[in-house]
Amino acid sequence: MRFLLISFCFFLVSCGSYPKKKNFQAENSTSKEIENPYLSDSRIDYVYKASIDVYDRNFSGLLIIKKIADKEHRVAFTTEMGNKMFDFTFNENDFRVNFILDELNKKMLINILKKDFKVLITENPIISNSYSHNEIDIYEAAIYNKKHYYFFENYKLTKIINAKNGKENVQFLFLKINNHLANQIEIKHSNIKLTINLKSITQ
Amino acid sequence: MRNFVFIVFFISVAVQAQTKMSAPEAEALKTLVKQQALTTKTISSNFTQYKHLDFLSNDIVSKGKLAFKTPDLVKWVYTEPYNYAVIFKNETLFINDEGKKNQVDIGSNKLFKELNGLIINSIKGDMFDDDAFEITYYKKDKNSQVHFSPKDKKSTKYISDFQITFNKKGDVLEVKMIEPSGDFTKIIFTNKEINIPLADAIFIN
Repeated sequence: MRFLLISFCFFLVSCGSYPKKKNFQAENSTSKEIENPYLSDSRIDYVYKASIDVYDRNFSGLLIIKKIADKEHRVAFTTEMGNKMFDFTFNENDFRVNFILDELNKKMLINILKKDFKVLITENPIISNSYSHNEIDIYEAAIYNKKHYYFFENYKLTKIINAKNGKENVQFLFLKINNHLANQIEIKHSNIKLTINLKSITQ
Repeated sequence: MRNFVFIVFFISVAVQAQTKMSAPEAEALKTLVKQQALTTKTISSNFTQYKHLDFLSNDIVSKGKLAFKTPDLVKWVYTEPYNYAVIFKNETLFINDEGKKNQVDIGSNKLFKELNGLIINSIKGDMFDDDAFEITYYKKDKNSQVHFSPKDKKSTKYISDFQITFNKKGDVLEVKMIEPSGDFTKIIFTNKEINIPLADAIFIN
């Protein structure tokens, strides 16, 4: 019985929302429109040198992102020597695999990549709630029906957190920001051993 | 009208620039390149790589140095816009990614093995395997260009055509690998030195 009580309490705590757990202050008066500007200029070919650590293995290559129409992006990955590993199209809620190497053609992997890249390329997420915490403005928005928190420091987007059960599930960090270019982007997963590190070599 | 004439003129020039070789011409080129490949013990060259993706505004350009030593040691060193080196040796890929060292066993991976074989043969220019490729020979300006189209189904999924450009002496100037989608990787070799001594130590990661 006691065990049941403890686990019930634990259940309650673990179900607490992410903003509550982090002591975010709810805000009502903040702006309702936000922008992720980092991969949104259709004139730019965004090229990043990528280093991917998955479990105990490391892969590297080039992540190439291009906005090709108003709500359409291409996201491709090649080795340094030019061999294409995959090539995806995101068009609003549509997602298409143009090419993927047989060895990588696994549903689970494609799903993870799809979700991660969708967060990176979503420009104007629709805000459902806004908060503040230590001078940081935080906006809650849904991507693929999952709650994501956008952190703005001095009006600059510095990170996006996908939270699950009140905990960080995936973190997207935008670093070395210069105008509208994030020279470094880190994607860290907590539930699986996966980190993607991107360094801009945009020419 | 003036535009039309210009276009027709341009097309006819473009067509002239690349014409099919006669059988004896193709045979002569094959012999020359094979001879060149046989006497090539080492190659040291600069290279510029262009990755063309149709949806991009510009090709992705990278530069570096290639070293080759018979029978099968190959090292590609990229110095721009990143530092990355890969050595093909004994069915293993030795990678140095900005100081991060890694190795990949390709012994069990047929595709990589084939790719490695193709890379070595295309550097040397000796890919004249009629069983593996549909081969077509062209004259292009003062040079020759040979198109190798893989016959094996598994290869054609990734590469629809290898195009190698040779100079008069039978040296490889350029390698272009075209994917079925039309995207391609083009590598242009410059300052190529043949048979200069290369120490084995170069091929250690």
